[in-house]
Amino acid sequence: MKAVRSLLDKLYEVPALSRFRPIIGAADAIMYGTNETTHAAPHVVDNIDIKRYMSLVIVALLPAVAAAYFSFGWRVIAIIMVSYIAGGAVEVIFAVIRRHDIHEGFLITGLIFPLVLPPTTPLWVVAVGVVFGTMFGKEMFGGTGRNIFNPALVGRLFITIAFPAIMTMSWQTPFASGPEAITAATPLTTYKSTAQASVVNPEVVEAGAGQVLFTNAAAVAKSTQNPQSEFDGVKVYCMGDSAYQKAANHRRIGPDNAERVVSYADLLIGREPGSMGETLRLAVIAGGLFLMVLRVSNWRIPVSYILTVFVFAAIGSYFLPARIAPPLFQVLAGGLLFGAMFMATDPITSPFTKAGKYIFGISCGVLTVLIRSFSGYVEGVMFSIVIMNAFTPLIDQIVLSFKYRPVKV
Amino acid sequence: MIAKNKGFCGGYRFSNFEAAPLDKIAPLGIPSTVTITLMQGFSDEVPCLVAPGDIVKAGQIIGRDDESISSPVHASVNGKVVEVGKLEYLGNEVAAVKIASDASQGWQSLDGCSEQWDSLSAEQIEKLVYLSGASGAGRAGIPTRFKSSIISPGGVEEVIIHGVESEMYGPLSETLLKGENLLHFADGLKILRKILPAAGFHVALNAERQDLIARVSGALTASRWVEVRALEPRYPADYDEVLVSAILGRAVPAGHLAANIGVIVLDIQDVLHVYDAVAKGKPVIDRTIALCGPGFTDNSHIQVRIGTSVEDAAAGRVSRDKTWRFLRNSALTGERIAEMTRPIDRNCRALIAVHENDTREMFAFVRPGPRKDSYTPMFLSKLLGKTLTKRGETNLHGEERPCIYCGFCEEVCPAGLMPHHLFHYVDRNIIDETLLRFRIYDCIDCNLCAYVCPSKIALGRHIKEGKDKLINEGLTCPPPPSDAKGAGRSQ
Repeated sequence: MKAVRSLLDKLYEVPALSRFRPIIGAADAIMYGTNETTHAAPHVVDNIDIKRYMSLVIVALLPAVAAAYFSFGWRVIAIIMVSYIAGGAVEVIFAVIRRHDIHEGFLITGLIFPLVLPPTTPLWVVAVGVVFGTMFGKEMFGGTGRNIFNPALVGRLFITIAFPAIMTMSWQTPFASGPEAITAATPLTTYKSTAQASVVNPEVVEAGAGQVLFTNAAAVAKSTQNPQSEFDGVKVYCMGDSAYQKAANHRRIGPDNAERVVSYADLLIGREPGSMGETLRLAVIAGGLFLMVLRVSNWRIPVSYILTVFVFAAIGSYFLPARIAPPLFQVLAGGLLFGAMFMATDPITSPFTKAGKYIFGISCGVLTVLIRSFSGYVEGVMFSIVIMNAFTPLIDQIVLSFKYRPVKV
Repeated sequence: MIAKNKGFCGGYRFSNFEAAPLDKIAPLGIPSTVTITLMQGFSDEVPCLVAPGDIVKAGQIIGRDDESISSPVHASVNGKVVEVGKLEYLGNEVAAVKIASDASQGWQSLDGCSEQWDSLSAEQIEKLVYLSGASGAGRAGIPTRFKSSIISPGGVEEVIIHGVESEMYGPLSETLLKGENLLHFADGLKILRKILPAAGFHVALNAERQDLIARVSGALTASRWVEVRALEPRYPADYDEVLVSAILGRAVPAGHLAANIGVIVLDIQDVLHVYDAVAKGKPVIDRTIALCGPGFTDNSHIQVRIGTSVEDAAAGRVSRDKTWRFLRNSALTGERIAEMTRPIDRNCRALIAVHENDTREMFAFVRPGPRKDSYTPMFLSKLLGKTLTKRGETNLHGEERPCIYCGFCEEVCPAGLMPHHLFHYVDRNIIDETLLRFRIYDCIDCNLCAYVCPSKIALGRHIKEGKDKLINEGLTCPPPPSDAKGAGRSQ
């Protein structure tokens, strides 16, 4: 190790490398820590530093990364590598131009970004996305601490809009390979297409209309008791296991026409298609709780976000079952858990006031349900967080204006 | 007698740091020379009454000014004045008297003192307290009719004596109240009550030391007018502003002292000094000081004459294996003792020696850290903190980074401020009413925000700078609202 130390010390001395001080300094600081001491009071300070703070986010993401690797194979590792290399290059270039240290925030962006991509994303698209996200999501605003939008989401948003075919049509079923593993349907898109093609209340279903969606076991019971509803030749979709069991056991529904849209257990253990990091929800929840317990992330945003989605979806699906999916499905499907626990909690792009955090979480929740139900996109989490990122300074200003009254001088 | 407290927001419990002071007092010999500054604590500088060559006795007044708000300064040893010069003291250049001691123990007693202090009149007691120098205690002094405080004895509504031990390193109340000192403490309170008959008395102690609380309560059973409070030793529980709000439920208006609302805050030793002055006629010539931190081989308390240099006070007790940074009174807010010849003054309660740690640690940020203290639960010390001591050292533990709005500073702030928000204004040099609006003057300079900051931003220093700049711009602290609780009661 002494050799590395003396090598670093020599590199500092080389005049030709003076522009690249940030890189040498970053390597030095990561390996050897700091030799700086406090200048004045407080003379003794907390041991926490940004490196540890940020690296704990990476630790919390590791279960999700491992799950992605086991579900989708080596490709995941390749995508993460591309993301780190391409995005890291942008970070380094800006650090060299601006002559400041390389900031650790990129370690998180570089990992979160690939985890919200479909596993089949071409590597060049990954590179384009992360470069765009880092450059226009962060560096253009002045770097870490000054960015308005979450850089990983900016990148994701850009490639979602720029390459819609890649980003919406090429999902891969976990634990499967080959051409038949590629599907256009995640649970959310399945729901969206089915719900709009059917009516949940089977009393108005006419034979031959095509499709019926049962959102729970009670809906199955209700409709099968109604002698007027017919199920011959109707494709029956069931949300969750209990509805599926009930429908499949019923003599008026043929064994072949009942189909399970989604199983909640499958969602939790990562057997449904989705973005790389979000499929194994158990790993996401574990990582998110880990961060909250260690106080790296603040619990207020994820809790208010997820609760709002649940409550709003419960109310909405009661009145508009054909459009708004049931609450548990909304919480478990798509990127909600991942987004709420790892992206909405980014302290820089979310409000710093406590009340602001609740407002942020609740607004994200409402927007997520609305976008999923009424827009052409199913990426409700991504859009809602980016939209609310833009409102963050306004939310803080409003909260502060209530908390601190203006003084007369 | 034990009442419930109103809590305070934020704060942080510093627990189990290495080399905490031990429960024993080692008397120190008479130093060969002492340097006594003519400004002690809050008081103004007093004119010098001696000249080089004069023979002085310990306890003899060498500086006194009856016109300004001050308390007299005494020679602390028997001997001869060698020099009257200037010395840097807490950022001011003040006159200092250097006395060569003859190594004799005795001291000159005050006239009029009596073991039967009960028979003394309030005026006699006030005179003894003033002449002994005990009136210079705390941030505003003990009021007597001799201009020893910014308020008069009649203006005192409450007296708070604190020994909550909330600092990272500080003296143990247990040690200060050992043996007969506990009785002296109880008597000291009674003496104070004679000169402040209208005041309510409160003694705040560490809630984690129930045995001490029981003993103090026992010693004070006869004094029903004293209330003993158990306070959670969360830093900065020993601060005047925090004590006033936790015990009295009142707020010290921003930019004012507790004395401005009629509250006098003293520590345990101040009360003992009052007892010594009135019952024994002993002026304030010595202090009990805790030697804290790994830099001392013997972490006992020492009883040391005022004016003793740090060098002499710590003689033979400084460990030689590392370089140490010596601090006065507090690891969070104390000044660095740059020269070991600096004298110990009347307000000194602890000398702290922490490791000047400028060594690099391999992969420090991923180490489990069983002995690294942190406000966050991100280190193993959170689990092992009870069994393993935490290191006291000066390493910054990381590089300075931009603020990431983690919110830790806001969580710990005992004044309920948003330090990071104030920092952003001061850092961008926006010095205007906005800072007043975000209540910058409510800051009590406890430095806890800078302690917890993961980005290693010196928040406390920036806020202080902001306050100074505001004052320069003429934007001083707004007057306390007239309907404030305290203002109404002090009429």
